[in-house]
Amino acid sequence: MRIKSGFDKIEQLITRDEKLFFTAISYVITLAIFINVSGFQSPVLGLLASAIYFLINGIFLGQAFFKEETAFFRLMFGLLLLFMLLGFVGWLAVVIHNLDITRFTLVLLITATISSLLNKTVKNKHGT
Amino acid sequence: MEPSRQRFTKLLRVSEIFYFFLAALSFYLLFSSRTWEAHTVWEVMHPAFIPTMFVATSLLFRILLSSEKVAYKLLFIIVHSVLIHSIFSIVFPTGDLSGQQMFLGRTRLVYDNAVLHGWPPWPVTTVQSQIYEWFRGINFQAALSVAFARMFSIDFIWIHLFLVPVLWGVFTPIAAYLTTYTFTQNEKVAVLSSLLFSAFPWATYFGAISVPNSLGYIFFFYSLYFMLKNLDSNDSKTRFLTLTFPFFSLLSHHLTGIMSFCLLILALVFKSYKGEKSSSITAKVSLVTSFILCASLLPLSLIYLRFFRAATYTAFTLNKLYELPLEEILGLFLIGELTYFDFETILLAVIGPGLALLCIIYLLYNLKRNPTAKFRIHIYFLFAAFLMILVDYRILKLFMKQLVFNEERLWVFQDFIAVPFVALAIYAVVSLLKTFLKATSLPTVAIATLKALSKRSVSRVLSLLFTLNVLIPVILGGWITLSLGVAYPQSVIYLQTTQYELEAVKFIEENTKEKYVVICDVWTIYAGERIVGVNNPRAYYFLEFNRTGYDLFLKMTEDPSLELMLSAMNKTGADTKVAYFIVTEPRLGVEQFNSVVSKALKNGLQVYATFGNGKLYVFYYKK
Repeated sequence: MRIKSGFDKIEQLITRDEKLFFTAISYVITLAIFINVSGFQSPVLGLLASAIYFLINGIFLGQAFFKEETAFFRLMFGLLLLFMLLGFVGWLAVVIHNLDITRFTLVLLITATISSLLNKTVKNKHGT
Repeated sequence: MEPSRQRFTKLLRVSEIFYFFLAALSFYLLFSSRTWEAHTVWEVMHPAFIPTMFVATSLLFRILLSSEKVAYKLLFIIVHSVLIHSIFSIVFPTGDLSGQQMFLGRTRLVYDNAVLHGWPPWPVTTVQSQIYEWFRGINFQAALSVAFARMFSIDFIWIHLFLVPVLWGVFTPIAAYLTTYTFTQNEKVAVLSSLLFSAFPWATYFGAISVPNSLGYIFFFYSLYFMLKNLDSNDSKTRFLTLTFPFFSLLSHHLTGIMSFCLLILALVFKSYKGEKSSSITAKVSLVTSFILCASLLPLSLIYLRFFRAATYTAFTLNKLYELPLEEILGLFLIGELTYFDFETILLAVIGPGLALLCIIYLLYNLKRNPTAKFRIHIYFLFAAFLMILVDYRILKLFMKQLVFNEERLWVFQDFIAVPFVALAIYAVVSLLKTFLKATSLPTVAIATLKALSKRSVSRVLSLLFTLNVLIPVILGGWITLSLGVAYPQSVIYLQTTQYELEAVKFIEENTKEKYVVICDVWTIYAGERIVGVNNPRAYYFLEFNRTGYDLFLKMTEDPSLELMLSAMNKTGADTKVAYFIVTEPRLGVEQFNSVVSKALKNGLQVYATFGNGKLYVFYYKK
């Protein structure tokens, strides 16, 4: 029960995204991933940063499309949509040019921006 | 909380902890079975793995039949599903020697930035071919694999190998749950279906290999869910997602994309049929016409694929009907390719879809008597979809030739539709037994209450309790465990990629500064692709089915010579400076291997290195 309410609080906080705080965190994480992949190449850092990136943007997309579902399904759907979006933007990069580290970072930024925009749009539409 | 309830919760928690222990043990046993030299996973599988899996699966079924929260049940199923689908990726360090290694070679090019000006890296002559190359599933899979590998900073091979097993393991149980719940509104049936999906061998196999088709299947399953949801919803988001998932299914693989769009058309027709006040004959005729149209879309699209894909020779044919004996035609018509398999495989492959078909027929019969049933249209739609796949499979199998994939891939679509009905049938049996139990004994079964019953009733209650709590979970657990034996091949004629093959290609790559070409068998090509990708201009391995590469290798095994090595260099460009020739003892056989090595030495070829205690020889020639 405590775990559930804890997750609910985090979810609400992320969804509100006041002053685009979590969108900014998402960008910082993208920068961290970029630094890690071009320098340290640490799996621990990579996994940690990716988990935060997935959590923030997964919650954004889950809230945008599956508000009426339970927290579990909302998160899972959000993650699935995030992977699809990531894959789609990455696919565009692959067919147009390539997916080197710079373009990969751009893909992450575009994905985070679209997720944040969708969250904002739906939130404004429903006034929550 | 009542004491009996408290006891039950405690027992449930103990069962869950025990399940986690068994799942962890299964993962450990898989890792301890990891090998570098085997044909099948079963050759090297730890003897305790199957018994552990069986107990874990049976226990999981028991947990599913309890009153635990749905989210927790699904988490357990996800762990189990990832375990079931990771066997290839854990046991074989380079995964199964199949299409997934081919795609690994192509994805490697994207990861290593060897593709600089968009896909494909090779010249494309027509606009249609360019469009076809863009929409090939390899691009979407490569984008995902490369993005994850860079994000996690984990070895690219691991990401590629586990991409589909993990995504499949996590997302298909949820899709099965949602699809089933949409038209049954019963959480227990839905949860049961999400685990029972692992009892379908073909689906399990495709969930275990990282190929674009498998990714496409995942999106197809979600397409199916949103189509069902869209049948009684006018929500704009549902409509958007109903269109989005077929698009991603197409982006992943053309087969799953075409099937998704076929079903989408069918679902839209059913929705408009449902919207009509009275079901007139015209509406029914339009329904049948749409069914025929949707069923013909797949065969026709495979024929017209030639507009986009140059080397496509798919065509309709009656040859099979003329050439094959009647009993074989009948076998192919009834059970398809399974007609060539052993009885156990047939049984395990047919039992799920067969049970589902019986359940659908029973439901349709009941619907006739109950025209106002809430999910009537959903069941009709699923039946039409199931029938469409049955028809399409038979058209592809008996009336078409030179398909670009094997027809058996359609069975996975059939499994997606079948699984909710299998769960429904099993749950009906469980409910029936529970009703019997309630009718026979008192609401709460305890030793004290049993004393009040007659001897005959006591034995009936005990046998019902045994059936519900032990027998059914054990049968279902056994079913899934046996299906694993069919899903992962029992006999394969070729050896999986060996350590020494991989060491050899790595050694060449690390120690050659110049542009080089390697003449080798298809198995070493797979190993080479893993390290340097396919068609890499700097480190050239011929494509797996390249005739020139194959002929060169064949000639080299007959009469290894410096001229042939020079000709290989000339074929790959004037700037190629080194040629390597690799022969492996287990691939050629001891006699031929020894003969090739002695001929090569006699003809003046220099040994570059040997690996695997002399099982693999690398010869070289430098310009």
